[in-house]
Amino acid sequence: MTGAALHLNLLKDSEHRSSSPVRLRVMMPLLAMLATIGALVWWGTNLTQLVIVKTQADSLDADIKSKSREHAEAIRQQGEVRETQLGLDQLEFYRTGVRHIAEPLAKLAEVMPIKVQLTGLSVSRLPPQNLARPKGVKGPPLWGPPTNVETQKFVVAGRTTKAPPLSALMESLDGPGFEGLAGTAGDPATGRKGTVVSFRQDSAPAKDGSRLLTFEVEYIMPERRFAK
Amino acid sequence: MKGGLLHNMAPNAKRSFMATLAFSAVAVAIYMFGVLPSQDALDKEGRRKSALDADQSRIRMDLSNAPNVKKNMDALEASMAPFKAAMLKPLLGSCAMRAKSILDPLVAGAGLKDAEYSEEQTRALPVTTPLARQLYARAAVKISATGSYQAAVSFLLRLEKEFPLVSLQWLEFMAGQSPEKQSVTMVLEWPTKGKVTRQ
Repeated sequence: MTGAALHLNLLKDSEHRSSSPVRLRVMMPLLAMLATIGALVWWGTNLTQLVIVKTQADSLDADIKSKSREHAEAIRQQGEVRETQLGLDQLEFYRTGVRHIAEPLAKLAEVMPIKVQLTGLSVSRLPPQNLARPKGVKGPPLWGPPTNVETQKFVVAGRTTKAPPLSALMESLDGPGFEGLAGTAGDPATGRKGTVVSFRQDSAPAKDGSRLLTFEVEYIMPERRFAK
Repeated sequence: MKGGLLHNMAPNAKRSFMATLAFSAVAVAIYMFGVLPSQDALDKEGRRKSALDADQSRIRMDLSNAPNVKKNMDALEASMAPFKAAMLKPLLGSCAMRAKSILDPLVAGAGLKDAEYSEEQTRALPVTTPLARQLYARAAVKISATGSYQAAVSFLLRLEKEFPLVSLQWLEFMAGQSPEKQSVTMVLEWPTKGKVTRQ
């Protein structure tokens, strides 16, 4: 009998081909134990991290709470600044829309021709504000009108003896110093800022018996533009 | 054969199998009851910390910015001062009464007589951008008086000089029986606060 014939082969074929011929019954518990240790280490790491993060978060929370009153005051001041800025912006809009006409009215007395007698002088009323939303847009009414421009008319009415004094008055109103009353060219045919609305024989004669002419001239005043 | 595999195993293999089973069970239990909950708690705490970090940064920024905010507020207050002085504050709930108290000396000084004051409808302030709410409006007061053209103009000149934020809204001179007794009606406009202008 040769040695080879007496050899007791205890390894399986698959174990012959393995790079590590350690038996499965040794490897499996070892791997399971390593997995258990790994899970324990993972858990431990998580717990440690949790403690660290919680401590940091608690410290942040305490810091935030300690500054809460100071911060509330800072926030209140910021709100106040925003509100004041908003108010100031709105008032700046108002300031640009202010209409002053005292000086041109004072100058009007200086340039009034001797043969013109004023019977009326007016700055027209503003139309009611339209705070409705545009057609098709639903919702509550607007807080402000949709346009920031207001136009008005300046109307001069009076009596005169003939056309030249009225013409002289209109020429004066077209000149410098009356920009606050007569804004833009009103009558393209004559090139004059004023439009003669009526010019006719007065029904009542003057004290001396002469027949007077009544007139009414209309001017488009500079726009009241509410803008910054 | 039921239970045959374990029954036929060699004692060493059986021990190995049982140990593997026990370790695996412990590993799974640690993962399920230890690792997963701790991971959840860690994520939750991480999110809380991130939120607190952001809060703290914001608070630090707000607090460091506070002196600038104060400076801005002072500048805004200074810009607002002339407007605040020009506001028409109702007297006993009436803008007309306040206007009377302000304007009577000017009316008398200019030589206008029989001045009557009445309140007109408050108008909204037109602005180019949509507003969340309107803080200010235009209070209007109608003044009717008699006097000469010169007296009325003198009143307007003084008014515009002393109250530059008062605006003329409407004006009407009507010739009377004499140059000294003309009828003057005007609507003057002030900035005002607290009026609801929504219609």
